[in-house]
Amino acid sequence: MPLSRQATVEHIYATGLRNQWHPVVPSSFVAPGAMRKVTALGEPWLLFRRSDGTLAMLADRCPHRSAPLSLGIHLGDRVACWYHGVEVATDGTVSAVPGLPGCNLEGRKLVTSLPVREVGGAILAYFGDEQHPEPAELTLPEPLTDPGTDAFLCYAEWNVPWRYAVENLLDPMHGAFLHHESHSMYDGDTTAKFRIRETDRGYFFEKTDQRGVNFDWVELCRTGVDWVDLEIPYPLSAGPGGPFGIVGMVCPVDERRCGVFFWRYRRVRGWQRDTWRFLYRTLIEQRHWDVLEQDRAMLEALPADADQQENLYQHDLGVVRLRRLFRAGAESQSVTS
Amino acid sequence: MTDTTWPYLDVHQSRTHDPTPYEYKLAATLEEVFTKDGHELTDVVRGLNSRQVHAPDGTPWTEESFRTEIHRLGA
Ligand code: FES
Ligand SMILES: [Fe+2]
Repeated sequence: MPLSRQATVEHIYATGLRNQWHPVVPSSFVAPGAMRKVTALGEPWLLFRRSDGTLAMLADRCPHRSAPLSLGIHLGDRVACWYHGVEVATDGTVSAVPGLPGCNLEGRKLVTSLPVREVGGAILAYFGDEQHPEPAELTLPEPLTDPGTDAFLCYAEWNVPWRYAVENLLDPMHGAFLHHESHSMYDGDTTAKFRIRETDRGYFFEKTDQRGVNFDWVELCRTGVDWVDLEIPYPLSAGPGGPFGIVGMVCPVDERRCGVFFWRYRRVRGWQRDTWRFLYRTLIEQRHWDVLEQDRAMLEALPADADQQENLYQHDLGVVRLRRLFRAGAESQSVTS
Repeated sequence: MTDTTWPYLDVHQSRTHDPTPYEYKLAATLEEVFTKDGHELTDVVRGLNSRQVHAPDGTPWTEESFRTEIHRLGA
């Protein structure tokens, strides 16, 4: 099992918490009958989809001599390693050793196979350590399951440590500055007081003196997968339906990179839904993208030791809380603790 | 089959095709109507017709024809 033994606190903190679900890539990245190599939590993986759509996620490491299975051949319900032909089924069992039939590798489950789910157009996987192989209970974000809410997924790959991408979401105040030149965050006060409000699944970090004008609140939700919920008003031009929301998740790719998943959602039905979807595809998606690029430019410009020399103030309480949660998680999962 | 495509940065992830000139025109006019005229379906139909932005067959919009067309475009 690759998510493994030498996992120190620092390694886990840098490459993502174990024993929970994480998003990996959009579902569309793996067509029926296709394979795709991905990196997540600092390890290489193989996504493998059967022609009927069933998806599997295997450690990208042949149990014979560790060649990447992603260089191998898709055989429908198993993959054949290119190096010596060993065949691995989607549950990680060696199904054949063609060079030595009857070899004692056959029938043994030697490759890690992660539980996967597909949600809102994204692949989620459960990354358990050796003590926690059974998937944690997963409660999906309501905006992605509620039939009265409509969502578009936006996925992007950033050269940013995963925690910085999550911290950015627990820092609503940057909206009024970094995104001042944008279609949705130009308005509102540039001073604010914040508070933390605990919930049974995480916490809100919210302004006490302004609501519904800019990026004024965010909720961190830990429901088997870590995600945030937030809301930003649309200008009148976006038509009926009120503000748009964002469900955000981050895939820890490795120590320096992450994949960000932003579902832009709106509570709309009927002609209002159709109109929003039409405007989104034709005009609004580009504007949302421009805002996201402001975040990427800023976060990719942060020095690697950004969190080593800081002078925080009241607006950073949401980030401080986040770090404490993640740090405690990494400590409890580390084998050295 | 490999992740050598890093980083994936694609502005348009929701489109099935590049918008046509008609679609761009309709979208821009809808934004103007929503900004200046209101958010009701009656506002939309009146606003589009008063700006001479008609359905593809050239006829003025009705609530029914707008519902049908926007469903085709936004489903
Ligand atoms: S390394 Fe895969 S078959 Fe030998
Ligand atoms: Fe931002």
